[in-house]
Amino acid sequence: MLENSIFAILSLFLVIGSLGMISFKHTIFSAFSFLIAMLALAGLFALLENSFLFLAQIMVSVGAVVVLGLMVIISLGSIEKNIPHEPYKFYWIFISTLLVTPLALLIYKALISLHAHFEETREGYGELKSMGERLFSEWVLPFEAVSVLLLSAMVGAIVIARKEKYFKKENYFDNHNQQEDNK
Amino acid sequence: MSTPAIIVVIISFALGAILALLMIPVLVWLERRGAGLIQDRLGPNRTNVGGFRLGGVVQSFADVIKLVLKEEYYPKHISKGRWLMMLAPVITFVSALLAFMVIPFADNITIAGESLRVQPLPVDYGILWFLAIGSIGVIGIFFGGWISHNKYSLLGASRAGSMMIGYELPLGLSVLSFVLTYNSIDFNTMVQWQSQTLFGFLPAWGMIVQPLAGTILIISLFAETNRAPFSVAEGESEIVAGFFTEFTAMKFAMFFMGEYVAMNTASAVIITMLFGGYQLPWVTTDTLLTNFNTFAWTLMVVLPIIVTLIIRWMRKNNRVRPTVTSDGGRAFETKVLSIAMITMTLIVEGILLYLTLIPSPLGSSIAVTLFQIATFVVKLMIFNLFFILVRWTLPRFRYDQVQHLGWYYLLPLSLFNIFVTAIVIVGVSL
Repeated sequence: MLENSIFAILSLFLVIGSLGMISFKHTIFSAFSFLIAMLALAGLFALLENSFLFLAQIMVSVGAVVVLGLMVIISLGSIEKNIPHEPYKFYWIFISTLLVTPLALLIYKALISLHAHFEETREGYGELKSMGERLFSEWVLPFEAVSVLLLSAMVGAIVIARKEKYFKKENYFDNHNQQEDNK
Repeated sequence: MSTPAIIVVIISFALGAILALLMIPVLVWLERRGAGLIQDRLGPNRTNVGGFRLGGVVQSFADVIKLVLKEEYYPKHISKGRWLMMLAPVITFVSALLAFMVIPFADNITIAGESLRVQPLPVDYGILWFLAIGSIGVIGIFFGGWISHNKYSLLGASRAGSMMIGYELPLGLSVLSFVLTYNSIDFNTMVQWQSQTLFGFLPAWGMIVQPLAGTILIISLFAETNRAPFSVAEGESEIVAGFFTEFTAMKFAMFFMGEYVAMNTASAVIITMLFGGYQLPWVTTDTLLTNFNTFAWTLMVVLPIIVTLIIRWMRKNNRVRPTVTSDGGRAFETKVLSIAMITMTLIVEGILLYLTLIPSPLGSSIAVTLFQIATFVVKLMIFNLFFILVRWTLPRFRYDQVQHLGWYYLLPLSLFNIFVTAIVIVGVSL
């Protein structure tokens, strides 16, 4: 009973947060709704006694994604007159909801029948230690592949963000000589 | 859950709430008196309730009453989102408070064969909880800075955010090298590891085993708490008051108190990870329990000496200048406090005497737990004093210096430290 009511409250927050995320006009209120939704999701993981997913959810989604999103909002300085005027927003939301409903029903049916195809959870499920052990023994290859992918993405971002003169050799020397001359 | 388990959980939760919340007025008072000491003045020391000044702590309570009764003022230009302005300080405050709740105040206490954690939230992933919840605090600063619609607030919030991002990495990486050393993410296991000795005579404190990572951890925690010398987010000399320029009354007070709770949390994490937590050096819980009589007799000798020194200090200092005729109830306060202290000492002595004469395992383990809690509180106060001393003796860094320190020095050093730690650990295990 207690679990069910906690689940209901958390799901309510998740739904309200997700709705607010798309319907608020101001980006900062959308970010707040996103924060609520992410915290509610973390709460749902905690309700499943999965401490790893709970902590990872808070650390990654809240501590990194929401914080960086807010950083972007603040840097762009999205004041009221810069926000686009959307008079028919709620009609669009309503129509797209109608369009997505069959797909949502399909996903719902699949999720409902999902538990029959998996065995019962084992002892120590969701704990950090068992999670780490499995990640570094059975799943070590995908894990490392993902980390290489992230590393390459990071290098790519740095290369794009960096000024060109540092990695074009001839230009670098030109600039360097110019600086020497200026001195 | 058995009855003792429920009682221990309730007591440790109450203890955590008291240590975090009741520490705020004490820390505010300590900060103002400490600033006074450093700047060669007195600081607040006159407010009293019927002659009781308690050195001036009453001033903090008067401040709280003033802030609660103040008008809730919202600037006119804030048309939408007043609820967010109300909520922003609460996010910062609550996240600092929750992060404090995984600190162990004493070793696991064994009652009726059941090992119970003396930790407000009895979880075994303490350091991860601290990192996860501690990173939420800056979101409140972001909301507060944005909703103020003010250039200075916006600048303060973006400074706080970019500083947080810059220092979260060295913090996480230095924590990682401690996790490698202690082979655990549980705060209590970390403290138990630190209660052993190195080479037979040095206490194996984190600061001695990992001096580089320890220094980086302390510096990053200073930056996380937004305190001087890293207080660029509220730099009064440049951007008025940063993110809380437009905040008044209790909304401001929540930000203000959140800073002290965060400082308290940072001190607790520093002593738990670096300075042996609730343990005294060279003394483990087992030593205390097996040699309980020696421990009790030592405590019974040391306690009166400390209390006598405190009372003598109080009698010497709690008085008015000779030129002032009215005493303002100070002699009465000294008398009452002395009697209270002597009575409490006598009660403690009586209990200890009873426990030594009629030994009982439950009584001695409870006594040891209480002693460890007392040690923890004393260490916590020492590190809060350290925070205050640093704030009032070092000038504020310039914003670019802060970023430079984080990205160019602390991040590479902490990465290097992880490699060295991993090599040493693999070498030892071979």
